[in-house]
Amino acid sequence: MPESMTMNEFGGRFDPTRLPEFRPDPALWARIVARQQQRVARRHWQVTGVLGVAMTAAFAVVLVSPGLRRVTPDGGKHGAAQEQSRALEREWSSLASSRGANAGTTHLRAIDAQLQAAYDRGAGVEEISPLWQRRNRALRGLIDDLRNGVADRGDGITQI
Amino acid sequence: MADGQTSHVEAPPGGSGFGQSLDRVTLERARHGEMAAFAAIYERFSGACYTLALRVLGEASGAEDIVQEVFLKMFATIRGFRGDAPFGAWLKRLTANATIDVLRSRQRYREDDVEALFESIPAASADAEDRVDAWSLLQRLPPRARAVVVLHEVEGYTHKELGDLFGQSESYSKSILARALKRLGDEEGVDAGEHDDE
Repeated sequence: MPESMTMNEFGGRFDPTRLPEFRPDPALWARIVARQQQRVARRHWQVTGVLGVAMTAAFAVVLVSPGLRRVTPDGGKHGAAQEQSRALEREWSSLASSRGANAGTTHLRAIDAQLQAAYDRGAGVEEISPLWQRRNRALRGLIDDLRNGVADRGDGITQI
Repeated sequence: MADGQTSHVEAPPGGSGFGQSLDRVTLERARHGEMAAFAAIYERFSGACYTLALRVLGEASGAEDIVQEVFLKMFATIRGFRGDAPFGAWLKRLTANATIDVLRSRQRYREDDVEALFESIPAASADAEDRVDAWSLLQRLPPRARAVVVLHEVEGYTHKELGDLFGQSESYSKSILARALKRLGDEEGVDAGEHDDE
């Protein structure tokens, strides 16, 4: 009792060592456990919610980020040209493999590089659309050359 | 004593019970989130937490809220308990802080005005029905004075620590304690019919 002398100085007879000890209601522990379980469950749902939001946000970034569209080109304003380009590429690949010809693609790869560079710097539709159209013309040229049996002429045949 | 649910127990030799030790195995199990270990800790220390809170607040429901808050906080933070101080001392600090927070939220008078503090609860008149024991005397003090008396006289807090707890100076705690003990002494005299009410 650090202040017991002070207490006596004031003439008090209050003896803190005689204060009673108590035990809480026996049901309190069950209430605390229930509350803890609620907290854990709430935290679980919060974490799940945060993960869900994070995944949605990441998905949205993939969709809208120009830098990432090179991996998954979007189907937005250039959708028709891209779809046509894919169809042409499938057709050309099929013809080229069946005839053992793979020449004349230098110009096509150059256009692909320009497209990639345009996406990387976030170029607008006015720059990208013409590139897709150029790519499609290049593919048509390759396909025509293969059908006409001039694949062996070299890269010069795909001049657009 | 405080209500129908609260059970009054004999005081253990170690005071209010925060001085009890906690074995390392139980502590480690609790750190790993084992509810059985938490239950063992609750069994050992809930009485000490409840007693401290009830002595200060004077009401069972408020004291139970404190115990609940302290143990929920303990669940959440026990991984960070490094063991530099005894576990009971750590739990006592959690309990004291939570109790003082409740007192602060209920504050109706200027916190730095000791006179106003004691005027908020006038000294009780002698009542033949009152039991003149330490508990009933303590409950005649304003809550903040009860906190100072209990934390200083029973739990061993220094005036510096109490001043910090209340966001006040060391002399503030000393002043409250002096006034509280004077009142306790006076009231015991009143109840015993030795001299007039103050």
